[in-house]
Amino acid sequence: MNAFKRIVTAATAAVCVLGMAACGSGNGASSDTTDMTYPSIELGKTKTDIKATIRVFNHKTDMANDSYNGESWNEYIAEFNKLYPNITVKVETSTNYASDALTRLQGGDWGDVMMLPAVDRSEYPTYFLPFGSLDDMQKEVRYATNNAYEKKVYGIASMGNALGVVYNKKIFQEAGVTEVPKTPDDFIAALKAVKEKTKAIPLYTNYAAGWTMSAWDSYIGGTATGDSKYMNQELLHTESPFADPGDGTHAYNVYKVLYDAVADGLIEDDYSTTDWESSKSKMNNGEIATMVLGAWAVSQIKNAGDNADDISYMPFPITVDGKQYTTSAADYAWCINKDSSVTNQEAAMIFVKWMVEKSGFAINEGGIPTDISDDSMPDIYGDEFKDVDFIEDEPAVDGEEDLFNDLNSDSELAINAGGNARVQAIVEHAANKDESYDDIVKEWNEKWNAALKTEDVDVKYTTVAK
Amino acid sequence: MRENKKPRDWRKGLIIVAFCAIPLALLVFFTYVPFIQMAGYSFYKMKYIGTPKWVGLDNYIQVFTRDDTLSSLKISLYYIIGSLIQLALALYMATVLSFKVKLGNLFKGIYFFPYLINGIAVGFIFKFFYTRGYIFDSVLQLCGFDLNNLPYWLKDQSINNWSLVGASLWRYIGQSVILFIGAIMSIDKSLYEAAEIDGANKWQQFRHIILPGIKTILVLNVILSITGSLSVFEIPYVVTSGANGTASYFVLMDQLAHTSQKVGLASAMAIVLLAIILIMALLQQLFFKFVFRDADDGVAKARKQAAKADRKRRKMAVKTAPIFRNGSKEKAVA
Repeated sequence: MNAFKRIVTAATAAVCVLGMAACGSGNGASSDTTDMTYPSIELGKTKTDIKATIRVFNHKTDMANDSYNGESWNEYIAEFNKLYPNITVKVETSTNYASDALTRLQGGDWGDVMMLPAVDRSEYPTYFLPFGSLDDMQKEVRYATNNAYEKKVYGIASMGNALGVVYNKKIFQEAGVTEVPKTPDDFIAALKAVKEKTKAIPLYTNYAAGWTMSAWDSYIGGTATGDSKYMNQELLHTESPFADPGDGTHAYNVYKVLYDAVADGLIEDDYSTTDWESSKSKMNNGEIATMVLGAWAVSQIKNAGDNADDISYMPFPITVDGKQYTTSAADYAWCINKDSSVTNQEAAMIFVKWMVEKSGFAINEGGIPTDISDDSMPDIYGDEFKDVDFIEDEPAVDGEEDLFNDLNSDSELAINAGGNARVQAIVEHAANKDESYDDIVKEWNEKWNAALKTEDVDVKYTTVAK
Repeated sequence: MRENKKPRDWRKGLIIVAFCAIPLALLVFFTYVPFIQMAGYSFYKMKYIGTPKWVGLDNYIQVFTRDDTLSSLKISLYYIIGSLIQLALALYMATVLSFKVKLGNLFKGIYFFPYLINGIAVGFIFKFFYTRGYIFDSVLQLCGFDLNNLPYWLKDQSINNWSLVGASLWRYIGQSVILFIGAIMSIDKSLYEAAEIDGANKWQQFRHIILPGIKTILVLNVILSITGSLSVFEIPYVVTSGANGTASYFVLMDQLAHTSQKVGLASAMAIVLLAIILIMALLQQLFFKFVFRDADDGVAKARKQAAKADRKRRKMAVKTAPIFRNGSKEKAVA
C-alpha cells in the first residue's frame, strides 16, 4: 500500500509541477498587498484614475448573454465604466461553476475576482484578499460572518435569500383565503379551504424527490424561533428541542404543519410517485396551491408556464410573540485573488464594492441586497413580507464550529444535512396512521439527547431556548 | 535443443507473470486493500473527515442490537422469494427456447434486453411505470380493472416491496435465461433422442436429462440470486430512495454512511453482511448436495437405470418368457 501511495503521490506531484511550470510563470505571484479596505472606498472618489484590466470568474452564465431578460454583464460593465472608465472588466462564466472554480483555484490563474467556492475557512488566507476586519465589515454589509476567518472577511455575499412558502395566489383567492395565514392553524385552515373550494392540491410535498423534503429543516432556526442565535448556538445546548413548546413556535410546530396536512388528506394523492420537474408546471397552472421551498424555487415555478403572476411567496406560517420572522442566508460571495498585482487588487475591490452598492445586482436577480444601508427588497418578497423581520443565523461560537455536525451524525437526524428520510417518515406515519406526531417527536428527542450525552455537551436549555 | 529451451521458458514465465500482474494488481489494490481498510474502519467511530476514534467491537454490537439493521434483512426475504420465482420462470423459458421455437433468437434477445439497460434507468422506468394512473394502471384499466380498485403500487406499504421485486425480476430474468440456455445447449443432443426412443415425454426429459445436466449452473444461479437479494440496492434506492418501508440492508448502510456519516458502523454492517452471505452460500451448497445426492450426472443415472432395466429384462426373459410373450410387465420397465 505504501509503495502504491508513493507512486500515486509522485505521479500527482509530477503533474502538479508540470502544471505550475506551464501556467504559473505568467502571473508571477506577488506578495504585495494593497492597504485598501472595503469600508475605506468611496465609489466615484477613490482612485478614479486607476488603470487596470481585471478578470471576473462567476456562475452567472445567463448574464453572459446580451439577450438575457435581466441586466447582462455587458450592461453592468458599461454602467461601471461610467464611474471608472480605465478599469476594463473581462467576465468569464461557467455552467459547472462549483467544481470548475475549485479546479481553477488550485491552478492559481483564475483572474482577480471570483465567487467564493466551497473552501475550508482556514484556507481563505491562502487564496484570498481580506476586505477588512469583521467588526468594520458588519457595519457595511449583511452576512459578513459567513465568509469570515479569524476576524477578517474574505468574501462578500452577492445577495441573500430568505425562506418562506411558495403559493398560488389565484387558488388562494378562489378558495376565499384573503389573508396570508400567519400561524400553523390558519395555514391548515387555508389548505382545507383550498381542498373544499378548488380542484387544486392544497400542499404538494414532493415526497418522492427526497431532497425537497429536507427543505423543511431550514425553517426550524430563525423562522420558527425569531432568535438569530438559536440555530447555531442555542440548539446545540438544548435538550429535547423537538418537544412542544406550547406557544405555536419552534421545530415542533414546523414539522407538525406537515404531519397535520398529510393526516387531514391535504397533500397529493399518491405521494410516492411524484415528480419534481412536472410539479413546477402543475403549480404554475393552478393544480397545486402551496409548496414549502426556498425563495430560489419561485423564479423556476414562475418560468414553468404562462401564469407567472399567480405565483407568489409568503412567510412560513409561524408567529413568535405576534411577530413573523424569516431566516435569510447568503448566496455566492465575491472574493479577490491575493496574488493579483496591487493595482488589480484595488481595481477588483472597487468593482466588488460597486457591484454590491450601486449595480442593483441583488434586486435584479431576485435576491436581498447585501449592502446594509439598502433596505429595498426584491419583488418576490412582496406585501406578504411587509411586517416580517429578516434575520441571519449567527455562526457557532468559537470551538463549537463542528459540534452541530457531530450531533447530527451521532443522532442520525441529519438536520439541514440531507435528512430526507426523517422528514419522509413524517409523511408515511401520518398517511398510514401508524405513529402519532408526538411519538415521532419523542423518538427524535431521544436520539438528540443521546447525542448530546455522547458529545458531552452541557445542556443549558430545554425545548425553548429562552 | 537445451540451449533454446531455457530462454524460452524464462520468457514464457515472464509473459505469464506480466499478464497476471495487471489483473492481480487491480484486484489487490481495488478490492482487497480497500476491503482490509474497511475492515479496519469498522473498529472506529469515524466520519469521512476528522480523526477516527477507536471503539473496539462497539460498532458490531450496534449492528446486532439496533432495531433497524438486521430487521432490514427482512426486506430481502421479498427479493429471495422473488428470485426463486424468477429462477423457475427463467428455467421454464430457457427450456422452451432451447428446443426449436419459432423466432427463438428474437425471444432470447427480448428477454436479455432489460439486463443491458443501466440499473438507474430501470429504476426511473419503474418509477413512472408504477405512478398512479400511468403505464401500469392504464394497462390494467384496458384489461377491465377500475382505477379505484387498484392499489397504490409504491405508496401502499403492504405491496410496495412486491412492486419493487417485480421490477428487479424484470431486470434480471434475462440474465438467468441466458445462463440456463447456455447450460442446456451444452447437454449432449443424443440424450434427448435416446430418451424419446425410450418413450420419455418432455417433462421426463426435463426432469432426468436437463435438470441434472445443468445442476452446476442452477446452483450458481440460486447462490447469485440469494446473495443478490441480501444485498439489493439499485432498485429500492432509485425507485423509492428507500423510503416508505423499502429500505434494504444496503440502502440503510448507504444512509448511515453518507447522510449520518457513521462510516465505522456502516463498515461493520458490510462485514456482517459478508459473513451472512458466506454462511448462506455454504448452507446452499449443503442443501444442493442433499437434493442432488443421487442425481449428480444425467448420463450416469441413465446408464445405471439402463443396466438395471436390462438385468430385469434378462431375468424376466429367463423366468417368464414362455408364458407372457407380450407381457405388460416388460413394457413398464422398458
